[in-house]
Amino acid sequence: MKKALSIILAAGMLLTALAGCGSTSSSTPASTAGSASAPAAEGDYAGQTLKVAAIETAYGTQMWEDVVAAFEAKTGATVELTMDKNLEDVIDPSMKAGDFPDVVHLAVGREKAMPETLIKENALEDLTDVLSMNVLGEDVTVGEKIIGGFTGNTTTNPYGDDRVFLMPMFYSPCGLFYDAGLFETKGWEVPETWDDMWALAETAAAEDISLFAYPTAGYLDAFTYAMMAEAGGQDMFNRALNYEEGIWETPEMTQMFDVLTKLASYTEPSVPSNANGDNFTKNQQLILDDKALFMPNGTWVVGEMADAPRAETFKWGFMALPALEEGGDRYSYTFFEQCWVPAGAENKELAKVFISYLYSDEAADIFAASSAVQPIAGMTDALSEENQLFYAVYDDGAKAAIGTFAATDPVEGVNIKDAMCFTMDSVVSGTKTQADWVAAVTAASDALRAALK
Amino acid sequence: MQKNKARSRFIVACVAPAVILSIIFLVIPTFNVFRMSLFKWGGYSPNKEFVGLNNFITLFHDAKFFQSVRNSILLIVVVTVITIGFALVFAAILTREKLKGQNFFRVIFYIPNILSVVVISAIFSAIYDSNYGMLNSILSIFRGGDAEPIYWLGDQKIVIYSIVGAMVWQAIGYYMVMYMASMSSISESLYESANLEGASRIRQFFSITIPLIWTNIRTTLTFFIISNINMSFLFVKAMTNGGPDGATEVFLSYMYKQAYTNSTYGYGMAIGVVVFSFSFALSAIVNAVTKREPLEF
Amino acid sequence: MIDRKPTGGEAAAKAFMYFVLALLTLLIAVPVAWVFMASVKENSEFYGNPWALPKGIHFQNFVDAWTKARMGDYFMTSIIITAVALAILLVVALPAAYVLSRYKFIGSKALNTGFMAGLFINVNYIVVPIFLMFVTADKFLKGIFGSGFFLNNPFVVSLVLASTTLPFTIYLLSGYFATLPKDYEEAAYVDGAGYFTTMVRIIMPMAKPSIVTVILFNFLSYWNEYIISMTMLTDADGPRTLPVGLLNLMKAQNAKAEYGQMYAGLVMVMIPVLILYICVQKKLTQGMTLGGLKG
Repeated sequence: MKKALSIILAAGMLLTALAGCGSTSSSTPASTAGSASAPAAEGDYAGQTLKVAAIETAYGTQMWEDVVAAFEAKTGATVELTMDKNLEDVIDPSMKAGDFPDVVHLAVGREKAMPETLIKENALEDLTDVLSMNVLGEDVTVGEKIIGGFTGNTTTNPYGDDRVFLMPMFYSPCGLFYDAGLFETKGWEVPETWDDMWALAETAAAEDISLFAYPTAGYLDAFTYAMMAEAGGQDMFNRALNYEEGIWETPEMTQMFDVLTKLASYTEPSVPSNANGDNFTKNQQLILDDKALFMPNGTWVVGEMADAPRAETFKWGFMALPALEEGGDRYSYTFFEQCWVPAGAENKELAKVFISYLYSDEAADIFAASSAVQPIAGMTDALSEENQLFYAVYDDGAKAAIGTFAATDPVEGVNIKDAMCFTMDSVVSGTKTQADWVAAVTAASDALRAALK
Repeated sequence: MQKNKARSRFIVACVAPAVILSIIFLVIPTFNVFRMSLFKWGGYSPNKEFVGLNNFITLFHDAKFFQSVRNSILLIVVVTVITIGFALVFAAILTREKLKGQNFFRVIFYIPNILSVVVISAIFSAIYDSNYGMLNSILSIFRGGDAEPIYWLGDQKIVIYSIVGAMVWQAIGYYMVMYMASMSSISESLYESANLEGASRIRQFFSITIPLIWTNIRTTLTFFIISNINMSFLFVKAMTNGGPDGATEVFLSYMYKQAYTNSTYGYGMAIGVVVFSFSFALSAIVNAVTKREPLEF
Repeated sequence: MIDRKPTGGEAAAKAFMYFVLALLTLLIAVPVAWVFMASVKENSEFYGNPWALPKGIHFQNFVDAWTKARMGDYFMTSIIITAVALAILLVVALPAAYVLSRYKFIGSKALNTGFMAGLFINVNYIVVPIFLMFVTADKFLKGIFGSGFFLNNPFVVSLVLASTTLPFTIYLLSGYFATLPKDYEEAAYVDGAGYFTTMVRIIMPMAKPSIVTVILFNFLSYWNEYIISMTMLTDADGPRTLPVGLLNLMKAQNAKAEYGQMYAGLVMVMIPVLILYICVQKKLTQGMTLGGLKG
């Protein structure tokens, strides 16, 4: 009798444990975020399903929902749209599991470095043929619509050949943001060369204003890219991006490190304290409060700080990097986001059609309404006045620098961006010197050169 | 015979579920961590390449890994000593001294321990803020308003101690309550006879209280080391993400970076193996070093 | 009692102790109160001095967090996951701890050592292997039934949570069970009670304080846990726990931060644990005294 009881109990315990999992398979809601608006099945791709994942940024989610709805109406396909501010966390687990979205809109250069990982792993689909496809519903090819230079650079062609793996999306010039109102009230000239900058630094210091601030050291990537181009020209920039031996000790790159180190000494001292994901808006606030003059950033910062209080006369100002000498070239790094297709995607054909549609006038207009600018000629005309100011930087004579460090096989413990950008935190706080900095970049560069694809 | 059979069935029925769950969710995954540490794998592609002990060899030449080792050990030692030291003193005060509101203090001190690390990191970013933070505002009373602010999270020499502060704040109440529990079981007569002999309070603390709860302290030490490795990761991830420039990188934060953002999953798992062995070895050492004959009065 | 005359030094020492205790109380109470204060601030108030008093009481934060940021849904998911995990844990760990601490049998020593070793396994590095295991299982199930089962399932998360806390819980409970005299069971057997009845009727009621301790500890760790739930619940529109939802509210770079909603969310995470803690705090000390972590 007692025996039987204990057996029943044991069985019971197992059952409870199992029932715990068994009863809910139906309660897991299916993911059908974007498909609510799916039209009746007609069109060339009726009945097909496309999984799209897009990062939610300052541009908001509405534009993607609209573009997806328009695409569904045009093709009859059903699109499952996933959007999240931390998109990597959402899609990474299922990607590790082999369940890939068909189209992903997520840029390189983010902390989680997901596209970089996929590039290193050779896990992206070759999109070169998309360039010669017609834009969905139009008679021009995708390649003809995209502004020259946005493909064929080290970002879109990560393996250094003619194959395009990442398609350029919303672009924005990166440069230095400042309070134009402050310069007017004080009667200061906006500096055009680095020498002007250093002179201004002394003037501003007298009024307790620091010359420079950065949100997190990661934001210095666009800045250092533009500095490399400024110091050595586009050709040397490209060689640096391919980790050429000895390049970091050349006079040109030394000039770049000189500027960076000097800038570190003029950086608002509290910047490294807040240069992390939780507190970086405090560093951006320094500009709004007139406690620092310049910060490197992208055009999204305007939307990001929309709610923040600011100095009374505050007005966003934006410029390319100052020239190294009077009349020298000024550069602005062109930041652009990318979309790509994982090699493991199920519906690659439809994915490519969808990407071609992203370059249609229809889609581009929807994006532009939310201030997201596709790299298509003439797109900037549709922007608000404030935004046009940013995009005008190239019309005012600044040169565009495009590209990112070349892809390599993964190297354990080596990360060039860490060495290049994050060393700045140490230089500002005085724990490392310029020589340490050059040495760190050189070491990372040497290790990666050996692993170049 | 019959009874023996019933006994065996009972034992199996009681132990089997726990053993099965542990094998599925603890043993097999840990085995996989060890296995993957011998491979070069990025995380997405199907090509896993067996590299033997290569990941470990690279690891022992990786300066950034050693920085994370230094930081982790520093956190283990400093946080443990401060937390357990203060917890013992406060526990002794609250149990031995006839203070009013003893219960109130006990309840309040435990609160940080129940908070999510997400909440704690929000709290400490307001405390450590260099311009408006609570700490600098209080210090400016003594240092004068014009003194250069202290960059709690920005200065690389200080930042690791700022993490120490947050971790001690979180852990102290937990250990205090634990020590209070065991101190209250020490017989009052021991203290009475010590008083007769004229022993001071401090002397009583070291020669009666500490020896009598020594076994308890030993156990908490072992647990502290295990949980410290885990907690320091959660704190660092929430507060500084290893920055500035690697100054607060610890074991597991470095493992995360390597496994998930540097496309070197196998390398990350090799770090996991080292951490596992390290915490195992350290606990064994602590256990051996602190071994005393249990004192009975 | 010895007659101790309160001397001047004595009084000063007492005053000093009160001072130190009060200081520590402030150091804990003020920051916690600050979170409550911040949760009623408007978004624009978060950019300046964090210690400034709120300009008005902006309860809209809570409404927005609850509905717009889906904290309401996440709250329910968190409650379900925590409750189920606790249930599984108690059902599995109590009998195991009881038998392991009070019965000698072949392999009992090995099992005890095994669970001790389990204390050193860190969830942070086994979470991905567990996840990959589920992925394989789901792929297999999809092939047969057309749908997966293990991922995005809150009950599976509960099972994983309960399993990973088994070693610690068994350790804690065994420590207590070992202190009970053998006489209880012997008396029960003489009365004709079986093993099972003895365990449930005699031993478990005596273990109550230590069970309360186990519940509180594990409630805290399940409620605040985010690494496992973030990995296992990947569907943005599906179930998620409160801490994971909170992490998403925390500003991702390049997007506008909703500070008001975030701090409202922080308060929502805090309140249940505070309530539970206040309810059981008396029992908690008792549990520790009686067995808890006594070496």
